[in-house]
Amino acid sequence: MDDEYYSVEAILAENQKIQCQFKLEVKDMGHLEGGNEQHIKPLSKIQVPMWMAYILIYSDYADFNIPPAFSARVRNALNAEPRSVKLANLVGQGGVWYSFGKMIMKMLNDEPANEMSRLLVKTFRSRLSEVIDQAQHFASINAATSAAGGDGSIGFREGLDGTERELFALAQESTRMMKKWYETSENPRK
Amino acid sequence: MALPGPLRTTITPPELELVASEQLVEIIPLVAMERTAFISGAYGPLRPPLKCKVPLWMATNLKMKKKCHIIPPVWLNTDYLQDRFNEETTKEEFSRLPFRFMEISKVLLDVASDDFQNPDKLRSLLKDIREARQAKSREGISKLDHSALDLPNLCAMEINEIRPFFVRAMGVITQLVREPEAGQAMEP
Repeated sequence: MDDEYYSVEAILAENQKIQCQFKLEVKDMGHLEGGNEQHIKPLSKIQVPMWMAYILIYSDYADFNIPPAFSARVRNALNAEPRSVKLANLVGQGGVWYSFGKMIMKMLNDEPANEMSRLLVKTFRSRLSEVIDQAQHFASINAATSAAGGDGSIGFREGLDGTERELFALAQESTRMMKKWYETSENPRK
Repeated sequence: MALPGPLRTTITPPELELVASEQLVEIIPLVAMERTAFISGAYGPLRPPLKCKVPLWMATNLKMKKKCHIIPPVWLNTDYLQDRFNEETTKEEFSRLPFRFMEISKVLLDVASDDFQNPDKLRSLLKDIREARQAKSREGISKLDHSALDLPNLCAMEINEIRPFFVRAMGVITQLVREPEAGQAMEP
């Protein structure tokens, strides 16, 4: 989540592709487009990874479009019911939707950026309690019956973003430790 | 970074139990002992049948050798806990209980259940209280934001349980919230 140099998650999130529209002609870089063109022509749209997009956008070589993971369709779905959206499917590669969103947010200014931030925070907060609930539920039942929980919750777990997965694991572990501690109390220590 | 993951984020319940075992409890000793110096301080002298205050670890040790009776702390009886439980279920905030009540009550009920009048009732009350409080700290999740979380009267064990993911979740929200830029800070 943090943009530290050594954060693997940040590196993975930077690998996400974003569509850029070039403003200038770039010589001898046509292979980025995947076609046979030798040069990148102005106004051509190319998917480039985030780490490359930064420099292109800041140096005013290209403009970028909001990626489909944050399109109006996804926004509407998130407004309707944040828990039913599978964030992991939107971005692929281990699902780093929040990190990706944060990067996009940093490239935007003013109102669009605020809106993005609101979207991310709102989604995160409304999904958080469900994440914790399920983690605690899974910590308290046996491994044998772990298939229980209903279809809805399975779908939710499959759609967890990488960050949410981490939280899930943390909550599960601490609940498990507590449970273990309580259970050792059942038999008197003698 | 040599510690396994779960130990890096928080301390474990048994460690908290160890910390709590420094708390003083009253005992009625069955053996005599001079005042003795321990690392944590000097305790004693034990003069049966006079009451004496010793740390929990010492009381447990003596109890297991059947050399003392433990006098339950004032808050560890059915009436008091029933009141707290009623408070817990009717009011919104956490009720006032000793900071380490979970650890102490567990240790005492483990080793000295014969010193209590109704240990089973106590156990079930403690369990009810714990569940009621858990429901409340769960509600705290929905109030979570990037700057602060206020859950007064939360006890050591509960703080420890929610610490890893609350801290992480708050960290994530901090990253996602867009701070107003310097020039815009004054605008509403």
